[in-house]
Amino acid sequence: MTNRYAFILAGGVGSRLCLLSERRAKPAVPFGGKYRIIDFTLSNCVNSGIFDVGVLTQYRPTSLNQHIGTGRPWDLDRTRGGIQLLQPAPGLSASDWYQGTADAIYQNIVHLKRRRNDEVLILSGDHVYQMDYNVLYAFHRRNRASLTVAVTEVPEAEVSQFGILETEPQGRVTAFKEKPKGEVQGRLASMGVYLFDREALIRWLVEDAAMPGSSHDFGKDLLPRLVARGEPVYAYRFPGYWQDVGTLDSYYRANLEFVQAEPPLDLHDPEWVLHTQTADRPPVRVESGARVERSLLANGCSVLGRVVNSILFPGVVVERGAEVRDSIVMHDTVVAAGAVLDRAIVDKEVRIGREARVGQGDDMAPNRACPEHLSSGLVVVGKRARLPEGLTVGRNARIGASVSEEDFTAPVPAGGVVDGPESMH
Amino acid sequence: MRDVLALILSGGGGERLGVLCAERAVSALPFGGKYRVIDFVLSNCAHSGVGRVGVLAQHAPASLNDHLGAGRVWDLDRRNGGVVILQPYQTRSHAGWYRGTADAIAQNWDWIEEHRPERVLVLSGDHIVRMDYRPLVAAHLEREAAVTVAVTQVPAHEAHRFGMVHAEDSGRIRSLEEKPERTDSALANMGIYLFETERLAEMLRARPVDIVLDVLRPQVAAGHRVYAHEYEGYWEDVGTVASYYRANLELVRAQPRLALHDARWPILTRDEERPPVWTGDHAWIEDSLVANGCRIEGRVARSILFPGVRVGPDAVIADSVIMADTHLARGARVEHAILDKYVRVGEGAHIGATGRGPVENMDWLAGLALVGKDTWIPDGGLVERPSSIGIGGRYEDLPGGRLAAGHLVPNRRWFEELP
Repeated sequence: MTNRYAFILAGGVGSRLCLLSERRAKPAVPFGGKYRIIDFTLSNCVNSGIFDVGVLTQYRPTSLNQHIGTGRPWDLDRTRGGIQLLQPAPGLSASDWYQGTADAIYQNIVHLKRRRNDEVLILSGDHVYQMDYNVLYAFHRRNRASLTVAVTEVPEAEVSQFGILETEPQGRVTAFKEKPKGEVQGRLASMGVYLFDREALIRWLVEDAAMPGSSHDFGKDLLPRLVARGEPVYAYRFPGYWQDVGTLDSYYRANLEFVQAEPPLDLHDPEWVLHTQTADRPPVRVESGARVERSLLANGCSVLGRVVNSILFPGVVVERGAEVRDSIVMHDTVVAAGAVLDRAIVDKEVRIGREARVGQGDDMAPNRACPEHLSSGLVVVGKRARLPEGLTVGRNARIGASVSEEDFTAPVPAGGVVDGPESMH
Repeated sequence: MRDVLALILSGGGGERLGVLCAERAVSALPFGGKYRVIDFVLSNCAHSGVGRVGVLAQHAPASLNDHLGAGRVWDLDRRNGGVVILQPYQTRSHAGWYRGTADAIAQNWDWIEEHRPERVLVLSGDHIVRMDYRPLVAAHLEREAAVTVAVTQVPAHEAHRFGMVHAEDSGRIRSLEEKPERTDSALANMGIYLFETERLAEMLRARPVDIVLDVLRPQVAAGHRVYAHEYEGYWEDVGTVASYYRANLELVRAQPRLALHDARWPILTRDEERPPVWTGDHAWIEDSLVANGCRIEGRVARSILFPGVRVGPDAVIADSVIMADTHLARGARVEHAILDKYVRVGEGAHIGATGRGPVENMDWLAGLALVGKDTWIPDGGLVERPSSIGIGGRYEDLPGGRLAAGHLVPNRRWFEELP
């Protein structure tokens, strides 16, 4: 149990998450009222008894670094093992920015060689699920696999977004197609959870690194190659809930599933606690005249208005007469008196001015800047934006981070874009 | 503040808190939806820059030990200093329970001396107060006092509950009264003292038991420099059911005098990892504090809910304090009550119903129903108030499912529950 090692790939750009991951890596995107997406994977590790974890970061690692810190909430602040943040480090060996997922591990091959574990677990920090990896280890050993890929069934319409596997009845993988465009057999998608024989992985990474045509990615290069040449690759079919929250729509949907009476994952299970970095905040304060229905509200929130079918992260203030419907509102955002949010995703420390209307009207014109990701009617408001009093914002609009009241000269139409100052980072 | 060492007196057995303090010290009592009483004073120390803290614990120290851990949440996990629990101990020459406040300090003199503080700040772990100790220390230095006593204004009709202080305009104390029937002073002794360490050492030579009676009074009588320093903020000693209940409910008033939402002076505590509060389709909450981990489907008004409380459909909580992981089944009703942890309230049960007829000798319950931890109230059960049910109450403790006003059910001993 103690002798296990996991890498978590946490470099994801998350470009389909639009503003939410503009200034943070996708695993650091807030989720579920107080968590970040990577908390699911980190908690899975410690709840499975894996206390030796390397987190590979690349894209905007600051918020992730802050979140993980010394790893204390996960009991990963250890003398032996614990958590290590692995940034690309130019100047070390042949190192450079990580090219693909396999390259990211290859550049950290020293951590693989240093350990004596038989297997190494490679995980993605992008997914919402609760999984006991011990079951995966048992499956892997029973099959004498060199690689076991955890898979889950996805809807037929979504197969083109995943790595799709075909298997024999006993689980041996016969084909692997990354994000297939045409016809495929089966709907078993790779969950981005790989258990490798450690020595085999070292061998394969060295081999892949030397291949000029390779993009050095597990899904695109390594896995199809291993399957094609008949290596013992097995698929472990995970029976539980698993959600990739790679798009704004799937992010929104997955969050709101947690306000249902029967949420997809039991966050109250004392045997499988979802750990996170928790700031010290007082309990939720609800004043007279407030309504809070079918919602999640984290400590530090203060509600005087109406909150329906929504998720409020710590420190959100909903003033008197304000209404938050079908929305996700992140830390310390203030919805001032009389303002309305409807189907909005609002990042941290935003101020919605008095009587503002965000998510207004029936016009469903897709967003001008990112029509492919923002067309279902959601409005996205970036971190620290300040929306003036009485502003109306149409659907599918995008309000950039740090825009100020003066950046608005007129109501924001459906599909509109208001951009703020360029990020200083 | 590097030259100040704080001693938090947490000896209070909380006899007047009944079942709530049967197995814990007053300072370990849950408060305000997620805190323990002692968090307020520890947070004050952390924010005032007092980095060396000893907690003098006699009653149920285990409840405090668990909570304090290494003191990390208050940034008191230091190599040099930090927070330490000082329990009574035996030596070859004496085996001493703390006989009183002054005796508790004297028994830990070796530990105090090790730190060589210039001054010793004596605090109570039973106070709900957000106090910056720096002005007190500044006033003490300016007056070159031997002892400074923090005082606060109390209404004349409450003076009989407190030690009252008579001071000159300069602040110099002329006399101290203990719980006077009648007095012309409005300044109550808060039980917060700053001593010059050297002077305190001298004072302790006479083997005093109580700080007020055996230390301060003789000092004042001998003409030493004992000063009062007035504190004007909110302060409550939660040593009684009435004051504990009042201080909790203060937090859900429209304009509470005690703000928990102040980022400049957060109340630090050992946080449990719980998911956000979940509210169902028909939940209705008003004027309440609800901590992470709660699941609310019914109605909650003017109440404090600790982590993990579940309020089933059509259940109602009003004017009550409900501690962690207590569950109310469908249609249950709880009003004017304090429910400790892990209580199960059955379907349609009613706790805190108004009792009929006069009740003798129950003033200490302040008209409330108290329910000890791990108690099960059966479906349809009825508990009138005032009343008290001990730890681990079971069906057979409520004959016919009822407890009439004025009744006290004693604690069950934990080992009776073992199979």
